[in-house]
Amino acid sequence: MPLDVPVHSYALPDGVDPPALVSFLAERFDIETGPSAPLAFVVVDTADRRVRDAGLDLVLEGTRDTALVLRSQPGAPPVTAPAGRARRWMTADLPAGPLRDHLAPVIEMRALLPLARVRADVRCLNVRNEDAKTVVRLRVATHAALDAEGAPAPLTPRIEVSGVLGYPRPLARVVAALTAEAGLVAAPASMADEAVAASGGDPRGIRSKVDVELSAGMRTDRAALAVLRELAGFAEDNLPGTLADLDTEFLHDLRVAVRRSRSVLREMKGAFAPEPLQSQRDALKWIQAITGDTRDLDVQLLEWDELLAGVPADRHAALLPVRTMLARHRAAALRKLKAELRSRGYRDAWAGYRAFLDGKQGPARERPDARRPIGDVAGERIRTVYRKMVALGSDIDDTSPAEDLHELRKRGKELRYLLEFFGGLWPSSVAKPMVKTLKGLQDVLGTHQDREVQADHLRSLADELAGVVGGPEALLVLGVLVDRLEAEQRAARGHFAERFAAFAAKDQRKLVSATFRGPSG
Amino acid sequence: MKVLATYNIKGGVGKTSAAVNVAALAAADGLRTLLWDLDPQGAASFLFRVRPKVRGGGRNLVRGRSDVTDVLRGTDVEGLDLLPADFSYRHMDLALDATGKPTRRLRRVLAPLQEHYDLAVIDCPPSISLVSESVFDAADALLVPLIPSTLTLRTFEQLSEFVDAEVDRRPDIIAFFSMVDRRKRLHREVVETLPDGRTDVVASVIPAATEVELMGVARSPVVVHAPRSRGARAYAGLWAEVRERLGL
Repeated sequence: MPLDVPVHSYALPDGVDPPALVSFLAERFDIETGPSAPLAFVVVDTADRRVRDAGLDLVLEGTRDTALVLRSQPGAPPVTAPAGRARRWMTADLPAGPLRDHLAPVIEMRALLPLARVRADVRCLNVRNEDAKTVVRLRVATHAALDAEGAPAPLTPRIEVSGVLGYPRPLARVVAALTAEAGLVAAPASMADEAVAASGGDPRGIRSKVDVELSAGMRTDRAALAVLRELAGFAEDNLPGTLADLDTEFLHDLRVAVRRSRSVLREMKGAFAPEPLQSQRDALKWIQAITGDTRDLDVQLLEWDELLAGVPADRHAALLPVRTMLARHRAAALRKLKAELRSRGYRDAWAGYRAFLDGKQGPARERPDARRPIGDVAGERIRTVYRKMVALGSDIDDTSPAEDLHELRKRGKELRYLLEFFGGLWPSSVAKPMVKTLKGLQDVLGTHQDREVQADHLRSLADELAGVVGGPEALLVLGVLVDRLEAEQRAARGHFAERFAAFAAKDQRKLVSATFRGPSG
Repeated sequence: MKVLATYNIKGGVGKTSAAVNVAALAAADGLRTLLWDLDPQGAASFLFRVRPKVRGGGRNLVRGRSDVTDVLRGTDVEGLDLLPADFSYRHMDLALDATGKPTRRLRRVLAPLQEHYDLAVIDCPPSISLVSESVFDAADALLVPLIPSTLTLRTFEQLSEFVDAEVDRRPDIIAFFSMVDRRKRLHREVVETLPDGRTDVVASVIPAATEVELMGVARSPVVVHAPRSRGARAYAGLWAEVRERLGL
């Protein structure tokens, strides 16, 4: 990053238009005024706003010869790259160079998408010192977000004030004039955020982290429903991107939202009447099942390069038929998935689930936990699941079948979700170390399970591979890959005892018993 | 961060012009660029309207007693910062001589800026001294302007031999013809014959052009105030070759 210079962004109050502000400044400073320039651009970011969250600003400029323009902050030199005509850009779509180098670690596997069209009128001004040198840069701008038909929705007019390295005093004088004299206040949100909001999006992007305010005394059914509604919203937000196959993470986040919802329904089952509950759990289980194949193939393809790292470079070409086959299977799985997600069955299942969340719940006698405080119910569940995990894990030794580790991992996910959604009801000094050791344990259990699934899947390609051009050679190298996956699985298992010992340590067991007591504890 | 130093034992050959224009072009390409005006005459600082003053002077800078980030100045070219000249740089040899490992000192001054910039351009004073040896040590490449003359080849070979013999960390040498007047037969002949397959002389030629001379009046690089001029186009060509050689 360049050495930081302060940048301030102020909203122009009602009744103060840009020319009036320029006159105000010209009376007080030696101002060099540039021409007023109309601009049109598109705010570009990933669906979950990774570019924005990294403190960067990315726009698409131009109409015929489009370019992606990245700035770390106003005043910083822009990094640009030709963009071509595309509906989205993955890292691999960006031309090699500084822009791709900057963005690749930020966006990872996500697609850059056009989020909002903006029209702007910008005037650049320079405040100069007695040597006619620029010592402060100003940018006065009016913006409007354009809808699909091109109709403008005006955004807050603003002035951006950028310091110049080594000249702090003139900057302080300009800021004082704008704030103390003209009464300007800091702009509440960035222009890009305003434009995204005006275009109907959430400036924070598609979210995946539940953010519901809960208190320990809240009724369990209400707390659970609040969490479930938020998760249902996440699943709905990710459906269009999944259907358009914009990137792999829409499907992933949709599945995570469904998996977490299933977990809440299971752990909080006493808050719901058995019958609608079972139907809804079945519906979510079905959604999880129809989305599974595509996700498994996505994982294989996303991890392909990493997988290849374990194979000598001169053998990579031999594996091309495997890569091609995975991509073909993925395309077929996606076609099937899209048909399912567009089917009446899916629509009805989701509408039924939404009605369950938003409608009246069954009679109180069928829902023994419904009115109990969430602090009590969640505490009981956290303690129970933790104890169950300690019992299950203690029985695992070197001779235990892989299924035992898988079972423990499933319980671990339950515990993780309970802590994520309800752990905030307890002091973070309790939940935090628990999450840390749980995460350490889940990492090895996850690697153990994932490597097994990947190895099984690669083995399952053998028959089909034997019949394609280059298949026999690919099969030989495939054996190396499978060996490597099995070795990683064994290594993960080797770490299990140590990670489990930390998770089930005596201090932690005592802390869990003492903290997550519930009313009867 | 790559370090490029414009160097020639002689003065008035176009070192500063090359330094300011190449630095401005690098910034326009999106590279975070620093220009260090190491010449006590302060011509580059003058061109960017920055006062030639470094708090604590050159002595404290090379001794590591000044925080180099405190003395930097932003220029009117966005993305280009300047480490200004200071009249005390005329005693830089003495200041360096008074330190341990004097030829490593300038590299150490630049070290804290490594993460902040992609390219540092040093505009060197004309001499062959401890300062230039320290510059050779700090630089990844020397950008050497050559005025076509009968002695050009000899002077240039002397420099190459000196760098080969005396510098542990040998910088790449990128020479180019500067202030070329095509109306002069000697200039034409030298420009056409000297490269003779040499890889250390690039193809770009900077003409002796009025607009380049007028930089001192406009007080900005020609690539900024007259970007379509012959001189500006020539510097753009030079920068493209330099950029490729530096691997930026």
